[in-house]
Amino acid sequence: MIADHRFHALATLRLSLNVLAQPLQQVAEMPSQALARAADFFTTQGELLRENRDLRAELLEQSAAAQEATMLRAEEEHLLAMAPGHGRYADHGVVAEVLYTARNPFTRKIVVDKGLTQGIKAGMPVIDGTGVVGQVTSVGTFTSEVTLVTEKGQSVPVMLVRNGLRAIAVGSGKDGSIDIPFMPVSADVRQGDVFVTSGIDGTYPPGLMVAKVSSVEKNSAYAFARIVAHPLAAVDNYRFVLLLPLAPPPPRPETLEEEVRKPVKERPAHAPRRQGGGAAPR
Amino acid sequence: MKGPASAGLIFGSFLVAFLFEVLPWSGTWLLARPDLVLLLLVFWTLREPRAVGQGAAFAIGLLMDVSDSVLLGEHAFAYVVAVYGAQVLRVRILSFHLPEQSLHVLGLTMVASCVMLLLNLLLGADFPGFAYFASPVLTALLWAPAAWILDSAALRRRREAPP
Repeated sequence: MIADHRFHALATLRLSLNVLAQPLQQVAEMPSQALARAADFFTTQGELLRENRDLRAELLEQSAAAQEATMLRAEEEHLLAMAPGHGRYADHGVVAEVLYTARNPFTRKIVVDKGLTQGIKAGMPVIDGTGVVGQVTSVGTFTSEVTLVTEKGQSVPVMLVRNGLRAIAVGSGKDGSIDIPFMPVSADVRQGDVFVTSGIDGTYPPGLMVAKVSSVEKNSAYAFARIVAHPLAAVDNYRFVLLLPLAPPPPRPETLEEEVRKPVKERPAHAPRRQGGGAAPR
Repeated sequence: MKGPASAGLIFGSFLVAFLFEVLPWSGTWLLARPDLVLLLLVFWTLREPRAVGQGAAFAIGLLMDVSDSVLLGEHAFAYVVAVYGAQVLRVRILSFHLPEQSLHVLGLTMVASCVMLLLNLLLGADFPGFAYFASPVLTALLWAPAAWILDSAALRRRREAPP
């Protein structure tokens, strides 16, 4: 147990046992999936036509935004070629269907139907139509486990849309909420503010919606404000999610001495473009 | 006197229990899920102590851990403790009728659940609420029906002794 919890050393054992348990799992899922498909089959034509119309309208709106995004991205790459640093965007992801919620009453995880055979790796960020859902934590042969953002200790580097304030959103582990800890009492955070990913860690692409603040408690008796937010993605009821690829690691320097002797400006970029704050290296 | 249970019956009963446990339980239903695998482990430890013991409990517990994606070894440890209790109290439990046996099984399932809860609390999880203890209670309530079904004459036909 300690080997599994502290050192994550038993991944191979878990993977091989999972292969054993997988066929039984699939057999057990069949009734509920058959029920869901049957329910889908009996939708009325009116509902389908209406849904079709709404989806087409949404597609039209989004295609305009997508074309603009392509043009902006090309422009940004052109500009970035003139300065060090590289941004990362949600280029292409793998669509996965959510099979079931992991049967562990102590954690918040879901299981999706893509695994090693489809090239999924641990650490890949997972999003849905509205925002960040979580991160892939464990990969099996045909399925993977995704830890949700509301899980205790699961953190996402975020930024306030309104004023650019940077923070880390940490899942609280209870009742589907997210905490923003370590914000000073004087921080400019209001109820209803939306947090998006800041992209600073290089894992999550910047600009994805994460959470909306539902309550802010500023008590000067404590050092930090107590900010509680709720995730914007449909973290508890969804069927399809998108698994984004991991950012490639920065290129290895030839030798370490060479790397250290180069002036800072010429070193290859290790972090995405948006550094901001006081810690930016020249 | 009923005959000994066949290996097929033991394996088949565990298969059914496992299928029951890997259904998509979630939320409050998950907290109240009766642990049929534990129930069957205790049952077969009492009835066929030479066939099912702590080794089987550990192996089946590992399989449960992997399929439930919990800490590896949590169910295994809890099941081994419960089966040890069943082995130690075997003669005592078998001397009672079914309702009193259910009470003993309640004790064993409570011990197993508390072991799992304690492990998770020590590793930093939050207490999931008292609904968590619905599971051992339901499991113990299912003892009588399960024992009745598995002990029934249809399943435990005494085979003809060879001449």
